[in-house]
Amino acid sequence: MADAIPFIEILGYWLGIFLTLAILSFLYKDNPFYKFAEHLFIGVSIGYIITQQYYDVLEPKLVDRIGVPAWHVLLVVVLFLVALGCAAVAVRRRSPASVATAAAAVFLLAGAVYSLFQSGNHQELGPLVSSIDWWIGLIPLVLCLMMFAKSVSPRWSWIGRYPLAFVVAFYAALEVNGLVQADLGAQMQRSMADLDREKVNINEATPEELTQLPGITPPVAREIIEQRAEQPLSSIDQIEALPGLTPAQRATIAEERGHLIGLDARAGTEPGQRNWFRIFSEVLLLLGLLASLVYFYFSIEQKGAVGKVSRFGVWILMIGFGASFGYTVQGRLALAIGRAIDVMGKDKDPALAERIQGPLVAGISILIIVVGIALWELKLRRAGRGSAGGPDAA
Amino acid sequence: MDKGRVHNRPSLIERLQGFDRRWIFLAMALAVVGPLLRPCNLPFKASPMVKALYNTIDELEEGDVVYLSADLDPPATPELEPFFRAVVLHLKRKNVKIALGSTWYAAPPLIERWIRDVVEPQIARPGEDGYQGAPDRPYRKNEDYVWLGFREGKQAVINKLGSDLWGNYDGRAADGTPLDQIPFMKDKRQLDDFDLVILLSAGSPGAKEFVQQVQTRYNIPMVASVTSVMTTDLTPYYDAGQLLGLAGGMLASAEYEQLVGLPGLGTQGADVLNVGQIVVILAIVFGNVIYFASRRRRRFS
Repeated sequence: MADAIPFIEILGYWLGIFLTLAILSFLYKDNPFYKFAEHLFIGVSIGYIITQQYYDVLEPKLVDRIGVPAWHVLLVVVLFLVALGCAAVAVRRRSPASVATAAAAVFLLAGAVYSLFQSGNHQELGPLVSSIDWWIGLIPLVLCLMMFAKSVSPRWSWIGRYPLAFVVAFYAALEVNGLVQADLGAQMQRSMADLDREKVNINEATPEELTQLPGITPPVAREIIEQRAEQPLSSIDQIEALPGLTPAQRATIAEERGHLIGLDARAGTEPGQRNWFRIFSEVLLLLGLLASLVYFYFSIEQKGAVGKVSRFGVWILMIGFGASFGYTVQGRLALAIGRAIDVMGKDKDPALAERIQGPLVAGISILIIVVGIALWELKLRRAGRGSAGGPDAA
Repeated sequence: MDKGRVHNRPSLIERLQGFDRRWIFLAMALAVVGPLLRPCNLPFKASPMVKALYNTIDELEEGDVVYLSADLDPPATPELEPFFRAVVLHLKRKNVKIALGSTWYAAPPLIERWIRDVVEPQIARPGEDGYQGAPDRPYRKNEDYVWLGFREGKQAVINKLGSDLWGNYDGRAADGTPLDQIPFMKDKRQLDDFDLVILLSAGSPGAKEFVQQVQTRYNIPMVASVTSVMTTDLTPYYDAGQLLGLAGGMLASAEYEQLVGLPGLGTQGADVLNVGQIVVILAIVFGNVIYFASRRRRRFS
């Protein structure tokens, strides 16, 4: 299978390994290999974005909707305006260059007009423009063209503010709506319900309530309901011993036993049991939230009792930032691991990895980069410019 | 400070304060490459959030249809590709149909490659070394799965998926096949029509926007696999029941691989991650020791 892969693709893998190491060479210091890889990456990315946006967005949403005949007519109109402008410049300057430009524009215009009548596209335009959807399809095009006014001249930049205002208002409305519904509404509702919620009584709970418990999936909940119809359960441990469970379900419940009956107790068999740990957690969450808000309240001097509350808020914030930092470190490490796995060919079919010879290519790439950087530094020293800075210098 | 001390050799703490950070980069490189060459197989166990995700998918039945939104780019592949492979195997074992879409322009080449490598071929053959559980079967395009493509528009696109999925994709799949010619898509006009929405998210727009724009409004069952950086932002949605399961980062992907019985890239990476994190912890402790020692020295000098 690996033999069927063309050499050009293998070359692509080699280039990928070299560019990965060229980017990583920045950890030593800013250098020409890093710059080359960075610029190549930006250039390729921009080319990719333009192509992708055209085929997946502009073509289906704009070009197809407006139709080829309309684009053809628009091309003729634009070329007519360009030819008119070039002709005006040629008349005023009377230089050979301006006359030649005007002649070229007129030639292009004539070609577009000839092609319009030759293809018969002008005849299809009538039924197209009579549809209301066609005119609605023009709105994004007009908004796009208005946006370009900002780059034409500062005098016309005000035109670009209208599409921007449209975009900002549209997304602000979407965002606010989503935040209120999903973040404020749903989560506050959930928190408030938790504060006074008793433990789930497995002898009385509905299937929905049962499936909220850790380890209780819908089939397990069905099994509990069948069992308790015959005889109420006297202990949580009886769930694990229900006859209709699979070994995997039984193992999951055994692992979740701590959450079901431990400190963070979620389930019980007696009516009226309160989940004190959950109540404590919710109260702590509320106090932490209020204390954090106090820290950001600058209208009162933060000393005395306010200062102490604010200090508590700082601790809560630090715990939150610590958790985020831990996850961020994990994410950055995963990036490095991903590249290492790719370079070493650990994610590839063994035959393909054999053909690519990742570690060997990596070794050669490191050698090229090290020698290259050494020569570059030597050249800099000879030129009297000293050594470039480390990673922070860029 | 007297003049004599200026000419003294710098103390150990002073030398450590000027410690070149590139040694830490080198230590980290060794910590990453070392376990890949010689795996340590440090143990890990699936967390409740990942188990909840697994259980939600395990509840799906044959013939169900899921919408899988892969909102990611190449940097997210180490964390999310292992999850994609494991979850697709899980879905294929249960004969669940898959509709794939994306709101990220960088995702299509990745998704198309994953379709070729994971969705279309059989990936867990009976008796093959390393795989546990039932085998899967090859999936056929537009019969067992459909790739709908990418649409620009961020939250607006997600919002529209909730009310008019067909309109969002102009009534056709990425290869141009009309959606009404794909049997399992005939009655899937909006996200609410799917049996489950699975999100693979590397940022915004992603899982957060799906919860905000469509989950809460239409009460759609959703699970998400996200990058580590996003995990703390998404956990409240899991706690509030808006997400039925959540896998955050490479370690969670490895946990899912473990549950599915497909040790792969995530399991390899989790081993390295554990060693790498030990190096990070040592670096933090080292930095703090130097900081407190120099502060103590300044206080007493």
